[in-house]
Parts: sequence; structure tokens; C-alpha cells
Amino acid sequence: MSAGNEQSRQWFEDLAHSGQVDLPSEKLGWLDDARQQARQAINTLPVPYRKQEEWRYTSIDGLLKQNFQPVNDPFTALQSVDLEDWLLPEMDCYRLVFANGRCVPHLSETSELPDGVRVGSLRAALTTDPDLLATWFGQTANHSQHLFTALNTVLINDGVFIHVDSNVKLDKPIEVLYLSLALEDAVVAHPRNLVVMEPGSEATLIERFVSTGQSVYFNNNLSEIILNESATLIHHRVQDESSQAYHLSNLFLSQQKQSRYRGTALALGGAWARTEYKVKFLDEEAECRLNGLYTVGEKQLTDFHLDIDHAKPHCASEENFRGILYGKGRAVFDGRILVAKDAQKSDAHLHNANLMLTRNAEVDTKPQLEIYADDVKCSHGTSVGQLEPEQIYYMRARGIETAMAQKMLCLGFADEIIDTIEIEPLRQHVHERLHNALDRVVSEQLQAEEVA
Amino acid sequence: MLSIKNLHVSIEDKPILNGLNLEIGTGEVHAIMGPNGSGKSTLSYVLSGREGYEVTEGQILYEGEDLLELETEERAHKGIFLAMQYPVELPGVNNMVFLKESLNAIRRARGEEELDSVKFMQLVKEKAKMVKLDEKLLKRSVNAGFSGGEKKRNEILQMALLEPKLALLDETDSGLDIDALRIVAEGVNALRSPERSVVLVTHYQRLLDYIQPDHVHVLSEGRIVRSGGKELAHELEEKGYSWLKEGAAA
Ligand SMILES: Nc1ncnc2c1ncn2[C@@H]1O[C@H](COP(=O)(O)OP(=O)(O)OP(=O)(O)O)[C@@H](O)[C@H]1O
Ligand SMILES: [Mg+2]
Repeated sequence: MSAGNEQSRQWFEDLAHSGQVDLPSEKLGWLDDARQQARQAINTLPVPYRKQEEWRYTSIDGLLKQNFQPVNDPFTALQSVDLEDWLLPEMDCYRLVFANGRCVPHLSETSELPDGVRVGSLRAALTTDPDLLATWFGQTANHSQHLFTALNTVLINDGVFIHVDSNVKLDKPIEVLYLSLALEDAVVAHPRNLVVMEPGSEATLIERFVSTGQSVYFNNNLSEIILNESATLIHHRVQDESSQAYHLSNLFLSQQKQSRYRGTALALGGAWARTEYKVKFLDEEAECRLNGLYTVGEKQLTDFHLDIDHAKPHCASEENFRGILYGKGRAVFDGRILVAKDAQKSDAHLHNANLMLTRNAEVDTKPQLEIYADDVKCSHGTSVGQLEPEQIYYMRARGIETAMAQKMLCLGFADEIIDTIEIEPLRQHVHERLHNALDRVVSEQLQAEEVA
Repeated sequence: MLSIKNLHVSIEDKPILNGLNLEIGTGEVHAIMGPNGSGKSTLSYVLSGREGYEVTEGQILYEGEDLLELETEERAHKGIFLAMQYPVELPGVNNMVFLKESLNAIRRARGEEELDSVKFMQLVKEKAKMVKLDEKLLKRSVNAGFSGGEKKRNEILQMALLEPKLALLDETDSGLDIDALRIVAEGVNALRSPERSVVLVTHYQRLLDYIQPDHVHVLSEGRIVRSGGKELAHELEEKGYSWLKEGAAA
């Protein structure tokens, strides 16, 4: 390992020591143990750098240049934020609101939860449900760790805790809104989430990440999601942050027999945003379907890593990701499906398509299938293309102006993903965000062409 | 309405049209016939403003205005419509949204009020019924996965909706069953008026049985080699094109 790498490790070590954690720690030996192990891991795990396959296309140099500080009090700054500005109209849901990684109970709405459903902060659950936490915490995230996940564990301070009892079906979605407030320092938050779906339960979870202003910060999230037998979770994530934001999400998903996970992953904004899904089938006939969309422009990087582990037979997974790139935007898509030797009758499909609006945009896409079983149905594909001049011509010949034609084609490309969101207000919202982004992009681009 | 003088057009430096002359009067219906590769579609594309076609010589006046100075969409705004030989697929773009945007873009450009969703729906349904286009096709992506005949019908629907002043139909009759052919003809005849002109590019006499043209032209090797009345089409059907070429060579 080079000296440069050891300097980088210092950054992680400094961060690990900077957090002052004041969790209720009575009787929570398991938490102390997890922390202790993570602290050691920070000294031993490899520092992410470009020679490692998982980090080959994604530099963390931008992060390492920042001197991130923990947030001790997000609540004062929160007073100048009007929550209404950040809510979706007509959205009927249970809600948790976080400010820079800390749950804000007075803005949250969980009073009318049905019996058998726990939705709240991890911090509160340490007191109210320590046994549940002790049972499930760290079950899925203890494998494939890297320095960022270790950092998250060392600095656990708060997060989402959701637990749905056996056979309980939620009537409304649960929305988690992560507000990142504009503070003077460059700040870091490490939300730590645990979602446990007991056998036969059903729920819909929406996570939205937004910035209330333009400031540098880092969201280092870790979610553990456990789907027990025949449980169903629909999970939409909308990462839509400012052009100064650094964002890393690590999702660890483990699925028991006949469980179903269906989700969308949208990355619409940020300076540097990486999302990793690590999905493991622990028993047969489980199903995971994930659609993704990213838009990435000038000085932005978006990175998706999918790791789907077909460890058991008769499971199905399907991932379909699309990207729209413009300016000097960069995207990385690294999807890997592993089908174990005994995982016969696996059904696994992975697809990534990219629409490049400018010459200077760049995508590295790497869908991989590693198959050790012989009776499987698997496919993967990738495409990188531009808007077809023929299509633009056709629309112009019908009186539609070039900018509008481009926009309609981009929206059409994105709609295949967005239309899978079955929650109307959320789908509308994403549409609007995309409309606005494309309006800007398309007009800037036409101006650039005129200048050229 | 349209006056084409000595038009020379090249694609990638290869001359395709070589001194084409054509006058289309207001209210007239013209048919253009001619062998494969003679330049019929090239002419249609040049008129609609497709890129990649270089006009090296000549002039096109549309209602007295230099057509070549107009952007593609401006030509549509001013009433030029080309039903394409190979309609383009627009995956992801909903047909209804596309039709509405098209109609309203044209109305906007003309300073007319845009149609709201309700009025538009009424209109499009009425027109779809007229051209017997299955309403299901309105809900799908434009032309994506449409059969050949459905694509052509969708072109005719657009024509009926946009009510152009100058309609160019490039082999809209090719690949149509007989019922569809009649519908296309009805669509064109419904449009026919003293203010509008129609240019039909076709290989077949049959369409001209339904739509009686005022003039018939033969396009060969990039220029009009023969013009006549509707009886010329019958003559072509009988004798083919070779006699014209021989005649031209003599
Ligand atoms: N993009 C292109 N590049 C090179 N040559 C082209 C291109 N488009 C057309 N051509 C050539 O121009 C000539 C005229 O083509 P055009 O499509 O106008 O013929 P057409 O009369 O419409 O024929 P058809 O009856 O088969 O539709 C042909 O030789 C064709 O190969
Ligand atoms: Mg042709």
C-alpha cells in the first residue's frame, strides 16, 4: 500500500474520532461490540482507491479534501426551514423527518400507526426496543464491509428503525425525508437504518434526500433491510441533493423464502453520489426487482453498484437502470449478479441504458454475470446512445421545436423507469424535477451549440 | 402555392436531384410517380427540411417565400406536412402527448389559442374515428411497435389533425390493405379544398382511382421527365417507365 493510501486512512481515522456519540448505552453490549469491531476495521480494511475493482471509476479524492465535522445541533438551524416546502402535495403517509442525520420527532408523523408497526428513530428504539435491535442489528451488514460502512458503524448516532410484525400490512407508505441543512461547516451525517419485515408483512417505504441550501456536506448512509419469509417491501429512494453534496448509501438486503422486494433508485443530483445495493437470497423463491434512473451533469458523478447474490435456487432478480448524462457529467454503473453452483432455476436479468446528451459526458458501465449453476435463465445488456437526429427531425416536421423535442425524448426514455412508481404524488414529483432539470439542460445545450 | 425551379440536391456530395422543376397551384392535387431511387423521397424530405440534403442550385418558393430559409418546424407552422414513407418510431413518447404538442406548437406559432386537454381529446377521438385508427394506438408510444399499416394510418391521423395547406404523402399507400387505402383516400379527399394542395408520391394507379389528381408527373434520375393529366398514370401502369427513358434519350 502506498504512502498516499496511508494518508487517506488518516482521514477515516480522524473522522472516526471526531464524532461524539451520546447514545443510551446501558445493557447495549452488542452495540459496543459492533462499534469496537468497526473501529478496528478502520485500521485494517483497505482504503478505497482506483486500483480496486469496486473503486476503479470512482475517485474519493473530492471527499478526502474536505474536513468534515459532525453536527451536534441540527435543531437550531432547522427553525428557519419550513417543512411544507419539502413535502409532496397530496401525499398521504406516515413520516419521519431527519435533519443532518438526526431524527426530528416534532416534525415526524407516526402517531396513528397500526398495531404491530414500529416506525421511529433508532435512537429511541435503543430504549424502547433494545431486544429487537439486538436480534437484527448487524445481521446483514457484517459482510462486505468497507471503510465507509465501518465509519458509519463507529459513528452510529441515529437513523430509521422500522419493524413490521408478522402478517401486518401497512395501509399507507412510510416516508423518510432526510433534510440536509446548509450549515457553515462542511458537515457529515451517518444515518443508520434498520428495516425488519416479519413473515407475511407488507409495507411501502419512500426515502427522499434533499438539501435545503447550497453547502458542502456528506451523507454516509447505511441501511439494513431484512425481509423474512413471504414479506413484501416496496422501496423508492429519491436522492435529489444540491450540487455540493456528497452522498454514499450502502443498502444491505437479505431475503428469506418467497419474500419480495421491489424498488426504484433515483439519483437526480449531487456532486458525488454513490449507492450500493447488496442483495442476498437466503432461501428459495425470493424475488428482487429494482429500477433505477440517474441524471448527471456538469461536475457531477453518480455511481451505482449492485451486487445480487443468488445463493439459493428458484430466485428471481431483475435490475433495469437508465441514465441521462449531459455537460461533463460522469456516471458509473457496476452491476454484478452471482449465481451460486446450487442455485438452479435462477432467473436473473441486468440491464443498463445510457442517453448521452453531450460529447463530454462519460459513463463506465459494467454489467456482469457470474454463473456457476447450469440450469438458469440469465441475461445482461448495456447500451450507450444519443438522441437520434431522425427522431428530432420527425418531431420538428410536426412543428415541435428542437428543445421541446429533445426534452420529450429524454422524458420518454426516463418514463420507462419513473412510470413503475405506483405512488401518484411521488411519480408526479419526480416528473416535475426531471422536467425542470431538462428545461435547463436543453436550453443550455442549444445555446452552446449556437456558440459553437 | 409551391414553385420549384431548377432544383439540384446532393447527399454527401452525390447528386440526387438534377434540375427539377415543378409548379403546384393552390387547390391542386399532383401525383408524382417514378422508378425506385429516382429521388421522390429526396424531394419530399427537402421540402420538409430534413438535414443532410444539400441544395446546390435552384430555388423553392412556398407561398412566395423562400422555403429554404425556413427551419423544419417553421415549415410545419406554415402548413407543410409530410406523411413519411418510413414514419419514425419514438419509444417512450406517448402518441397522445405527441399529437397534442404538435397541434399546439403549430397553433402557438400561428397566434392561435392552444387547445386544452378536454377539447384536444374530443378532436383527436373524432379524427381517429375518421381514419379508423384504434384508440389503443393513441395510448402507446408514437409508432413504436406499430405495424406498417398502423404507422401509415397514424400519419394520416396527424394530417387530419393538423389540416395542412400543403400535404405531401410519400408512398402512404404502400403496404396498406384495401380498406386502409380507401381511408387514406377519404382523408385526402376530406382535406381537398380550393385553399389546399396535395402531392401524392405513389407507385400505384389504385390510389389515383380514389383520389383523382389534376396532374401526374414522372420523376426519373432526379428530374421531372414527363407531366400530364390523370391518363398518364394509366399509361405508366400499362407500359412501365422504360419507354420514357428511351424517349428522353432520343
Ligand atoms: N442518406 C443517403 N445517403 C446516400 N444515398 C442516399 C441517401 N438517401 C437517399 N440516397 C440515394 O438517393 C437516391 C434517391 O433516393 P430516394 O429515396 O429519394 O428515391 P425514391 O424515388 O423515393 O425511391 P423509392 O421509390 O424506392 O422510395 C437513391 O439512389 C438513394 O440510394
Ligand atoms: Mg421513396
